[in-house]
Amino acid sequence: MRTRTTFCFAISLSTLALTMPASASDLVLYDALDFAGPVAKAFQAKTGLTVDVVEPGSTGETLGKIAAEGNNPQFDIVWLDGSAVMERMAADHVLQAIPAAAYDKVAFTDLGKSLIPQSHAFLPTGTSTTAIEVNTKKVPADKMPKSWADLQSFAGSVAAKDPNLSGPAYQWLAGFFQTNGLDTGKTLLSKTLTNKSLSGLSSGGKVNKAVLTGDASVGINQDSAIFSKIAAGEPVVAVYPSEGSVSLPQGLGISAKTQHMDAAQKFIDFVTSAEGQAAMQNGDDTDFFYIPIIKGINAKPGRETNIAYTHLDDAVASAHETEWKQWYKDNFVQ
Amino acid sequence: MTIFPPTGAAAVARGASIATSLQRGLPALVRGSGPIAIYAVFALLIGLPLALVLVQAVVPDLFSARDAGSALSLEPLARVFNSPRVAASVLHSLELGMLVACTTTVVGGAFAILVQRCDIPFRAAISTVPWLVFLTPSYLKALAWVLLMSSGGYLAQFGLLPSWLGTSFFGLGGLVFVHTLSLFPLASFIIGSALAGLGSELEDAARLSGAAPFRIWLRINGPLLAPAIALSFIATFAEVLSDFGLASTIARMSDFGVLTYGIYAAASDYPVDFPAAGAQALVLLSLVLLVVVADRLLRRRADPRLISGRARPARLYNPGSWRWPAMASALATAFLALVLPLAAIVARALTQTLGNGLVWSNFTSANVTAVLGANTAANEGLLRSLFYAGLTALITSALALLLSARLDRASPVLRTAVIGLSLGAVAIPGIVLGFGYILVWNRLPGFRDWPFPHYGDGSLLVMGYVAAALPYCLVVILSAIGQLAPSLTDAARLHGVGTLRRLLAITLPLVLLSVVTAFLLTFIRTVFELPMSQMLIPQSGPPAPTLILKLFSHDRDGLASAIALTAMAAAAIGAALVWYPLQRLVRPRRSSVAVDTHGNQSVRTGAQP
Repeated sequence: MRTRTTFCFAISLSTLALTMPASASDLVLYDALDFAGPVAKAFQAKTGLTVDVVEPGSTGETLGKIAAEGNNPQFDIVWLDGSAVMERMAADHVLQAIPAAAYDKVAFTDLGKSLIPQSHAFLPTGTSTTAIEVNTKKVPADKMPKSWADLQSFAGSVAAKDPNLSGPAYQWLAGFFQTNGLDTGKTLLSKTLTNKSLSGLSSGGKVNKAVLTGDASVGINQDSAIFSKIAAGEPVVAVYPSEGSVSLPQGLGISAKTQHMDAAQKFIDFVTSAEGQAAMQNGDDTDFFYIPIIKGINAKPGRETNIAYTHLDDAVASAHETEWKQWYKDNFVQ
Repeated sequence: MTIFPPTGAAAVARGASIATSLQRGLPALVRGSGPIAIYAVFALLIGLPLALVLVQAVVPDLFSARDAGSALSLEPLARVFNSPRVAASVLHSLELGMLVACTTTVVGGAFAILVQRCDIPFRAAISTVPWLVFLTPSYLKALAWVLLMSSGGYLAQFGLLPSWLGTSFFGLGGLVFVHTLSLFPLASFIIGSALAGLGSELEDAARLSGAAPFRIWLRINGPLLAPAIALSFIATFAEVLSDFGLASTIARMSDFGVLTYGIYAAASDYPVDFPAAGAQALVLLSLVLLVVVADRLLRRRADPRLISGRARPARLYNPGSWRWPAMASALATAFLALVLPLAAIVARALTQTLGNGLVWSNFTSANVTAVLGANTAANEGLLRSLFYAGLTALITSALALLLSARLDRASPVLRTAVIGLSLGAVAIPGIVLGFGYILVWNRLPGFRDWPFPHYGDGSLLVMGYVAAALPYCLVVILSAIGQLAPSLTDAARLHGVGTLRRLLAITLPLVLLSVVTAFLLTFIRTVFELPMSQMLIPQSGPPAPTLILKLFSHDRDGLASAIALTAMAAAAIGAALVWYPLQRLVRPRRSSVAVDTHGNQSVRTGAQP
């Protein structure tokens, strides 16, 4: 009898396990963007197509998951910050090229057009850039930095992300070398990032925390993160460096192995529509403060969009990626 | 307890005959396949996923996106060993692990003795502290201490933090401090459960022969507790090596790189530097295996078997004038390990911003409302996690009981292999095991087409949780079963009682408290388990830890703190609902067991609540 009890126990356990929700949705979306959830919900409400939103954590963690899945990707769509990594995934045939017709349907602004990759690896949906985050309680108004070069006077008190852990941070580093020159840039960083416990942070949230707790007076951070903190009432401001800023596009990519191409195309159409863009702004977190790149769409109130851009030379940036990341790690990461 | 209805002699005989006939019906192959089954469970849950990650240290292109190949290469290992950063992080990990293993074992052991054997005021209340500390996941405790100790944090805002303390906290000292406070429950559980089994017969005998208490602890209890102390040392050491919560916060902020962070950094990009992650994981695993082997070599003699069915609950010491100081030190530990970090998290959950501090205008209930409201992402994630954790705890404790019973009688080689593997699995960061799971269940032909468990479903996440929790359950249950005198089951076996029945009717009731302990530990740990939740996140929706981490990384630590608080409360209530009724049921059993002298009869009495 007891044996039977055990068998019943085992069988009921397996039944319970079997009945756990298995997924059978129309689209699987991998992302590391705050607005992906609300957008998927709005898309579902409008089209009736179901979307499974999978968010393992930071961009790095999402990339790690995609890399582990390798040639058997489980997503239909991936939506992330950063263009270079999308290019790498396309080159490895994890992503397929976005059909040219998809770009033609969208009324991109000039900024938006400049972000469309030649390889068609991804479709840009918005952008942001890197700025200097300043704690106004620690830095008086007359001592505000105006350029990357000014950060030298805050040496030891500058928070920055490790480009090895953050795609946007590498984009910043490459842009910084482009605008300041490689050798001058290296010297400048060596004089500025003298505190290794602040210069190798893993996410924008940690830069925010370092600046807000006062561990750092200034930080090098994604500007949308700064605006989200300003909107939350934190005592920080965003300063755009006089050298110019490099754009960090958010891109949508389509899996090379997707079985749901129709639904994927509908999702792209929705994201680039006015409704989709409204859903992308329906929240208070970092990514909701993106810069729109579609005509007729305005950014969230308080978000600076009048920024002097410089165009990043992607070829140079990707050619030196390993070398520069290693240099950063050797010098500024413990 | 409902599985064991009260049975009369006739029922026992009937049940036994069914069991024996079933037993006879089972082919000899199945009966002899015990060790094979144990190996198979471990291979599938831990061995294979781990091997796929580790093998990339020597076969770097195995899972490469372009030109996958199986060529052997020592390049990744050479690269890792030639890197001064990796050498430094190995030294850091070792230094930290050794120090924390010592401090934690001392604090946890002292706490266990104080609470179990000394008559101090508020003993019952203080004995819940380790459980409550255990409820707080390490990444939350780390965050709480960052909120408290950073230069603009809560303690500085109240003027309670001298600047020298703030700077020296972010270093080895602070890491040892926070690790000790967060891991002492583990040592306290391990040493405490051995202490409970010790009884006081031997002690009483020594006392009657005129030995002083100090001498009794030094010469009798100490040596008898030595295996538990060693186990506590090793488990803590392994836990520190594999820790990621503190490695990614306090260690990261203090120029103190450790191995786990190196593995994480190598594994968080596209393409993942699998060879580097594999090579560093190999170093980590080798370190832990070294400790396990060293431990086995050091104490060759058999573990003492103490519970004979006659143990009587131990007498309490009266510490006399030391009562109040003893209580004060226990309370101080509780304050630092529990109250202060919790207060920081509560404060953060109830305020809008960190920078504006604890002023009235900064308080809000928005975060908590968001978690408790129906149909919010936070609320759904929480419910999902509680369900997965309950299921995982059930499966894991059942599996661990079966394995322990088998292992207890298995050959020393198998026992050592399994304990080594378990501790190895404890030391391997969950993120590596998680990667291994993706590689096995999404890349290996054969596995990836299996309908159940399937990558992307809740089923594989639960399996991953089970793998992450099994080593703990095994350690807890194995140490309890290891104390049972073999005479108990031998007697039953001679009476023709079958294997399964011996397990359920004799072993289980005697180790029931340990099994429930294992169940609750697994439940609580799983509610907050982070790396598996991240890597094996089901497509149907994220569990709570993934949500909490995501909110932290987006600097929404207010809402994250609120989810964490609610999850802790839910887990605590769930655990209390299981624990307190059970303790009531189990307590009278002990005395009845103690009265009886015949093994068989005492067990039957014991099975009746």
